[in-house]
Amino acid sequence: MIETDILVIGAGPAGLAAAMKLKRGGFKGRVVVLDKAKSAGNHVFSGAVIDPAGFDGLLTESEIAALPCESRVNKESFRFLLGSGASVKIPWVPPMMQAHGYPVGSLSKVVKYLAQLAEADGVEIYHGFAVTELIRENGRVVGARTGEKGVDSQGVHKPNYLAAEEIRAKLVILAEGARGFNTTRLIESQKLASARPQVYALGIREVIELPEPVPGSGGEIMHTFGYPVDMVTYGGGFVYHPNDRQVMVGFAVGLDYKDAALEPHELFRRFKATKVVQRHIRGGKPVAYGAKLIPEGGFYALPRPYADGALIVGDGAGLVDGLRIKGIHLALESGVAAAEAILLGLDGVGERYDEILKRTRGYAEVKRVRNVHGGFSYCAPIGVMMAGFAWSTFGRIPWWPVGRVHADSDTLRAIVNRKSQTVNFPGSPDRLTDVFLSGTVHEENQPCHLKLGDSAKCEECAKKFDSPCTRFCPAEVYRREADGSLRIDFSNCLHCKTCEVKCPMSNLTWTPPQGADGPRYV
Amino acid sequence: MNIVVCLKQVPDATNVRIDPKTNTLIRDGVESIVNPFDEYALEQALLLKDRLGAKVTVISMGPPQAKVVLREALARGADRAFLVSSRAFGGADTLATAYTLSLAIRKSLDSATPDLVLFGKQAIDGDTAQVGPGVSEFLGLNLVTYVREIELKSGVEVEERKFRAITVMDDGEHVVEGELPAVMTVVKEADEPRFASLVGSMNASRAEITVLDEKAFAADPRQIGLDGSPTKVVRIFPPPVKGGGRRLDWNGGASETLSELLKELKS
Ligand SMILES: Cc1cc2nc3c(=O)[nH]c(=O)nc-3n(C[C@H](O)[C@H](O)[C@H](O)COP(=O)(O)OP(=O)(O)OC[C@H]3O[C@@H](n4cnc5c(N)ncnc54)[C@H](O)[C@@H]3O)c2cc1C
Ligand code: SF4
Ligand code: SF4
Repeated sequence: MIETDILVIGAGPAGLAAAMKLKRGGFKGRVVVLDKAKSAGNHVFSGAVIDPAGFDGLLTESEIAALPCESRVNKESFRFLLGSGASVKIPWVPPMMQAHGYPVGSLSKVVKYLAQLAEADGVEIYHGFAVTELIRENGRVVGARTGEKGVDSQGVHKPNYLAAEEIRAKLVILAEGARGFNTTRLIESQKLASARPQVYALGIREVIELPEPVPGSGGEIMHTFGYPVDMVTYGGGFVYHPNDRQVMVGFAVGLDYKDAALEPHELFRRFKATKVVQRHIRGGKPVAYGAKLIPEGGFYALPRPYADGALIVGDGAGLVDGLRIKGIHLALESGVAAAEAILLGLDGVGERYDEILKRTRGYAEVKRVRNVHGGFSYCAPIGVMMAGFAWSTFGRIPWWPVGRVHADSDTLRAIVNRKSQTVNFPGSPDRLTDVFLSGTVHEENQPCHLKLGDSAKCEECAKKFDSPCTRFCPAEVYRREADGSLRIDFSNCLHCKTCEVKCPMSNLTWTPPQGADGPRYV
Repeated sequence: MNIVVCLKQVPDATNVRIDPKTNTLIRDGVESIVNPFDEYALEQALLLKDRLGAKVTVISMGPPQAKVVLREALARGADRAFLVSSRAFGGADTLATAYTLSLAIRKSLDSATPDLVLFGKQAIDGDTAQVGPGVSEFLGLNLVTYVREIELKSGVEVEERKFRAITVMDDGEHVVEGELPAVMTVVKEADEPRFASLVGSMNASRAEITVLDEKAFAADPRQIGLDGSPTKVVRIFPPPVKGGGRRLDWNGGASETLSELLKELKS
């Protein structure tokens, strides 16, 4: 058995900020961070345009200047897309969306950089270890268990079998990101959830390498709304230029969508094929791909971010500014808040963390835009109106929770008459080609980490919804065989967890596969 | 019994890209890993350690970052680690590398002769497969290449100095018997490498790694680094891109598809 003072689960921005801030604040004890990715930054995934306010109180000026982001935002625009060709440029960028001077780059690189700084501060970081269970004693979280390795697909131990290991801690910080495996279970068992269910958007993104550098394009960003989603579906696109050779193109769709026939990856391809986006990427070659959930429930869906023996930080605590789809600065701020609470002692640390968190700038922002998502639950114009109110009244009006929110698994309508349509997007990778670009690798000879419940439910689902998992999974992990059974190619999985939240029968569970497996985001 | 395993840090070949203009590796975003064949060599050493209580020393020659691969080996169960690193070693080809490593191996054992020195079959970056055999020459030890299984009698130190190795060759498997000390290079048909445990990783992160430079062992300056390397790289270029093949879709049955293929081949 291993013992540490603080155990952090997840080496994303939230977990690393907490660990680093502890050491920088003079914490003498042992701080251990575990991450399931093979190497630092491999499992974090983002745009990313980063609100640098998150680094305040964490990094020094010179460390911020040395962030591995080649550009800062110098040109931004906001467009409403009417179709694949026509679009309207919104004459001014909504003030809450403005990002002038923000660093643009790869979150994986930023996380790698933070990990190096944290190690130099004395934080111990171990990669390739998935936490599969929290250890609880009398209700209190007292540590965690890592997953076993070297088990074959039949559950038999291989010669290189490695048993699960236990690590005990005085306090555990859960920094697993959106829909974290252990976080979700803790929220459930300790009844930490808020009255409104947490809902998510699925963000899909490619990096496109341009045939020739376009001098001066680094630092340009564009956000869009409208096409290719309809008025009742929540979605938006982005185009970021981290430097003059590459373009990051992404699309996020609210998983509370109702049309069972919808395929997020196809929306993404439609978005890429629009005239406005083509202007940015023409002739370019996709070189990287990924997908991940974004918690979008906002203020009303925030869980209580602590339990006995554990604090929850970052996306796992639902801390994302749903209007700007930005969560990195909130992840950093919440990590810092957790560390500040711990530095004052472990007695009453949960409540103290909650208080400090509520005083952060990021939290105030989440509160201010609290009704935007609810507004969108009616339709896009009401959502936009709510965003306007949120800004002009500093979030004071409307003061009541707007809209009705259902869990993402409950929103699909039965398919009545499915028109099958295949659209051709020349030069745009299909799902399996994109999976290759994500670099995801899983040991094939291990138990399938996507646990399917009752296959009878799948049959019902097939009739009613035409098996939506075959479409919503951004990695085409699910396929229907000729005999109607569901095939699960788990080795393509990107760990996005869409299947767990969107399966209309709640029939799928994502569990951590063998440590070090999964995407290789760089 | 002393087993030495030499490990090389290499770029992860699964996502290596070549810049079409400069013909050089695009290093951006490419991770460094332990040369996969070397992991199998390490596993053989650790199995012998489990069975016979051998002492496993790992050595890597490379830049300071190569300490990472040594820590990985310590985490899996190696006992001691040495990094052979100095500017003077820069630009070494396989000959100079083998010379340098042979000195480092002796130095790491206080001039004693190792019982067994293990390498991976080849490194995936250069693919030469020459360093292991080179070291066997410099140390004057027996050499067995392409080994998938090593059998030693217990208590080898005193009575028995014999080994039995199974090697994988083009014409099948060979059983090779010989006497220790020996150098062997290991293939991937050998036992799957083990995983590093968390406890092992924690201990490895604190372990001491001794750095050896040219002053640590009396290296002949004319035999190390660029000066000691008769190999000259004239040019590096990727092979010409092949045009894609044509896919014949299965339409109807095997005979139709086959006749279509035959027609295609005739024309
Ligand atoms: C397409 C897309 C675009 C985005 N764009 C932006 C943007 O431009 N700006 C912005 O600010 N935000 C953006 N976001 C949101 C941002 O990425 C997240 O808010 C942020 O990454 C959250 O950080 P985190 O540390 O909480 O979690 P993550 O970054 O998700 O990190 C969690 C870490 O925990 C590890 N982990 C999880 N479970 C386990 C386990 N059981 N055992 C061990 N390790 C585990 C994971 O491997 C991972 O490394 C975007 C998100 C998406 C999907
Ligand atoms: S896994 Fe879920 S979405 Fe897929 S077929 Fe079964 S019930 Fe339907
Ligand atoms: S299987 Fe589930 S978690 Fe994996 S990529 Fe598909 S939707 Fe995401």
